[in-house]
Amino acid sequence: MKLYEFEGADLLEKYQISIPKRQIVTSIKDKVDISFPLVLKAQVLSGDRKKVGGILFANKKSDLDKSLKNLLGKTISGEKVEKVLVEEKIKRIAEYYISFSFSGALRAPVLALSKKGGSGINDASIFPINMIIGLQPFFIRQALTQSGFQSKDMNPLCAIILNLWKLFVDEKVILAEINPLLKTKEGAFFACDAKIDYGKRRSVETMDGDIAIIASGGGASLINIDALLEAGGRPANYAEYSGNPKKEFVEKITGEVLSRPGIKACWVIGGTASFTDIYETMKGFTEGLEKVNPKPNFPFVIRRDGPRTKEAQKLLADFAKKEGYDFFIYGSETPMVETAKVVVNLAYHKNDRKDKK
Amino acid sequence: MSILIDKKTRVLIQGITGAEGSRACREMLQYGTKVLAGVRPGAGGEYVEGVPVYDTVEDALKHHPKINTSLIIVPAKNTKDAALEAIFAGIPLINILTEYVPPIDSSIIVAWAKKYKVRVVGCSSIGIISPSLCKVGSIGSAEIRHMFKIGPIGIISKSGGMTAELAVVLGKEGLGQSTVVGIGADTICGSDFVDMLQLFEKDKETRATVIFGEVGGVGEEIVAEYVKKKKIKKPIVALIGGKFTHMLPSGTVLGHAGAIVSHGKGGYNSKIKALEKSGVVLAKTPEEIPLLLKKILKIK
Repeated sequence: MKLYEFEGADLLEKYQISIPKRQIVTSIKDKVDISFPLVLKAQVLSGDRKKVGGILFANKKSDLDKSLKNLLGKTISGEKVEKVLVEEKIKRIAEYYISFSFSGALRAPVLALSKKGGSGINDASIFPINMIIGLQPFFIRQALTQSGFQSKDMNPLCAIILNLWKLFVDEKVILAEINPLLKTKEGAFFACDAKIDYGKRRSVETMDGDIAIIASGGGASLINIDALLEAGGRPANYAEYSGNPKKEFVEKITGEVLSRPGIKACWVIGGTASFTDIYETMKGFTEGLEKVNPKPNFPFVIRRDGPRTKEAQKLLADFAKKEGYDFFIYGSETPMVETAKVVVNLAYHKNDRKDKK
Repeated sequence: MSILIDKKTRVLIQGITGAEGSRACREMLQYGTKVLAGVRPGAGGEYVEGVPVYDTVEDALKHHPKINTSLIIVPAKNTKDAALEAIFAGIPLINILTEYVPPIDSSIIVAWAKKYKVRVVGCSSIGIISPSLCKVGSIGSAEIRHMFKIGPIGIISKSGGMTAELAVVLGKEGLGQSTVVGIGADTICGSDFVDMLQLFEKDKETRATVIFGEVGGVGEEIVAEYVKKKKIKKPIVALIGGKFTHMLPSGTVLGHAGAIVSHGKGGYNSKIKALEKSGVVLAKTPEEIPLLLKKILKIK
């Protein structure tokens, strides 16, 4: 989960990092209280907003009205602009890049620094943090020196970096980035864009297709959707539950995934579980299904195995019979990826139902 | 033989009184694993499945000095504390099953483990099994344990769920396993593919290794580097998940915490290209894996 720039700016401010005067505008009728010149930034999560005209400047009232009208209601990378961040334009003499993130390869958090703001982490120098002593000011000073920063910037930058580290640790984020950090003629610093990512996932990621997917297993879900594509299927979503999920969670995902219009089939897919109670999860699935309105009349392909599979399969068969659903039920005797072909056939070639069990 | 765990493994379970901890304890005992003690602060003196519970790791070790492995199944917020307790007590192998441990805590655990030369597998590991010898963690529970059969193949998987699925698929073709390890798929992991591959490299029983990887992180790319430099010579068959993720925006988090969609390094194409170039054999489906292994090992 990434934060919008304005949310990120609020968070930086909470950790005592200076931000330019700013205001959120949602309508051209909103009164702007900050004096010109101004920067207007569309609030979207896409990283390419600058290239597509998502950042504009205004030196006078007529510019402001025109630019706000332009930005509000614009769509950037599929996202409608509903908020514009209006900010005082800071006169800068330099732009820097600072971030904290994790390196899986180095197995540590890393400080990334660059004297070229605007460019990304790929152009920055990376300094892995020794977590036995934690981040110490001397380490930051060494990193700044090695990256070619001036000695008179050392202390103010060190303070900003320590504050950003506090944010990174206390907020438990996976990315805290200031890009750019502006330096004024007077030697003051302002964070002019913040990227904060909590690294959390949503329960359902929407895709464009028409086969609803309720997958279990972080890894299995990936190879199964790969197999679905290979078989010519179009996934409507990515949704996955892992570990030993509560029945209520499966029920919630089921409702969310099946309530979308245009679904042609549903694929409930997972591998052979080691400790997941299959009966419990299938119970959650049927209870979620009962609440879907209108009642789905498309076929369901269900492939799952593991503890209490026999009871789960009986529950599913009885439920389908009673409620009049088309369930195609498989266990570990049928390869997971084989059932991708089955669901594609059922979804797109309704007459071809040889696989029915 | 096997890697990490065998007949000599003596286990301590930190978090033994919890629902998952007591279940793992029961399952491990049923499999024949020697579980000597458990720890749960405040529950010292109790018993779980006949296993004595202590308040501290230090106390457990005082009464059971043969403990050489700790299984950690405690709430995420307590995991760093539990792992450091085990590291400072000098237990050489720690397997952490807890999910959703903040990566900042994992980096602290990993840093101290490295300093004290302790091997950590996890967090978010499903466990480790050396079929018919020993199992630690939730891997191969209940009736599923029979799916893991002894044999010449090592399995390393980021995904816990895929461990049983892979054992089933290999078993159908008569291929058993030396050891199966769930390394987890967090952003910061105690052990990565290469760490485990180096152990399998030295294990006489293991003739080839299967790795299950997925988008996110660069563990698979590091495997490719090691294979290319001939630091790992035993054959590897890899199955990588997430080809479809080009359809999702960069930064989307999938099932595992470390499975973050990338359209550059760490993404599906980056991994496939690197592995292909290095000579690792790529399987397109789980069912292809045993067929490729038999071809490589010339087994009919």
